[in-house]
Amino acid sequence: MAELNTAAPVDDLVAEAANWTPVSLLEQIKENGRVWTDMAADYGVTNPDPPWKTSLDGMCEVLAAGTCSSMAAVEKGWLAGDTERSNLEGAPPLPLLERRWEEDALSETLYQDVPYPERQLLALVHSLIKRGLVKEEDLAARMKQVHERLAAD
Amino acid sequence: MSHDHHHGHNPPAPMVDEVSDFEALEIAVRELCIEKGLFTADDHRKFTEFAEHIGPTPAARMVAKAWLDPAYKKLCLTDSLAACKAVGVDLLNPTGFGTPSDYTDVRVLEDTPTLHHVVVCTLCSCYPRPILGFQPEWYRTPNYRRRLVRWPRQVLAEFGLVLPSDVEIRVEDSNQKCRFIVMPVRPAGTEGWTEDQLTEIVTRDCLIGVALPKPGMTSNVKFPVHKAAKPAH
Repeated sequence: MAELNTAAPVDDLVAEAANWTPVSLLEQIKENGRVWTDMAADYGVTNPDPPWKTSLDGMCEVLAAGTCSSMAAVEKGWLAGDTERSNLEGAPPLPLLERRWEEDALSETLYQDVPYPERQLLALVHSLIKRGLVKEEDLAARMKQVHERLAAD
Repeated sequence: MSHDHHHGHNPPAPMVDEVSDFEALEIAVRELCIEKGLFTADDHRKFTEFAEHIGPTPAARMVAKAWLDPAYKKLCLTDSLAACKAVGVDLLNPTGFGTPSDYTDVRVLEDTPTLHHVVVCTLCSCYPRPILGFQPEWYRTPNYRRRLVRWPRQVLAEFGLVLPSDVEIRVEDSNQKCRFIVMPVRPAGTEGWTEDQLTEIVTRDCLIGVALPKPGMTSNVKFPVHKAAKPAH
């Protein structure tokens, strides 16, 4: 059985991810956002995970959904250099391995000082923005709306 | 009887009365994804409910049952899908609606007094979630993934698991098709215990192989997360 040659494409991917320019909105959140461990300590809450963690997990899953083994096999073909990423028919918005490896790379670079799972969230959104799946300005506007909604009486 | 607002209950647990930017970000990006048709709200809800209810109990119960029942132990080692069904998890359809990465096989790795197994996913963070829940943070890190295969004995020692030199350590690498759980040796001091009692000491860490079960130990270790000196790939 042929060995999976991950060297070149994955190195490229990691290098590309490492060289990604910071996203202004995410940098602001990184600098100013209150992380769960601090908030939980301040309020005396013992739950180790923030309330949005399972929703984040659900989002990661559903973005790669319906592609299970078959798409993982195609992804491996891409990683082995047998096919172009752009030629993957039926690729989900954010395939599992791409998301995980970009999260790895971003967790070691841009978001290395952010704790988990906040880091996981920033990496996911970073990947979505860099793919053009979500626009930074739309996200900033929607965050403002969300804050207003949640603060309403 | 006069009305008592406390109804005899304990005082309410403390809550975080504050919305962080991270919480707002998670909501905002999810709403935009749904509006753009990247996924539906219904599908997201299903996956989130799946994430809410999974945990290590099914895998722990498998090990506890196997310790008590030789026939079930044989089933674990020869037909783990049937063994999973016996604790209420259908691995071929764990959610009823499919998942991207859990449509897979699980193998139970039996430890002996001279052989210890430990599990990793060097590729990403494959894990038998339907029976073991979500991965701990350290399991996902390149640091653990890269170093465990090179220095298993030393990495296990970092978890507080120092094994004698005559115990062979075998590292199993998970993948999209096959996940693993470790079946440790039943510890001394558990004679006469019930399945429920035994299940409590088979922690997540024991099932990954970075800890051994022992009476009185029902929680996992806090393992520091280190940055990898080099990328994993």
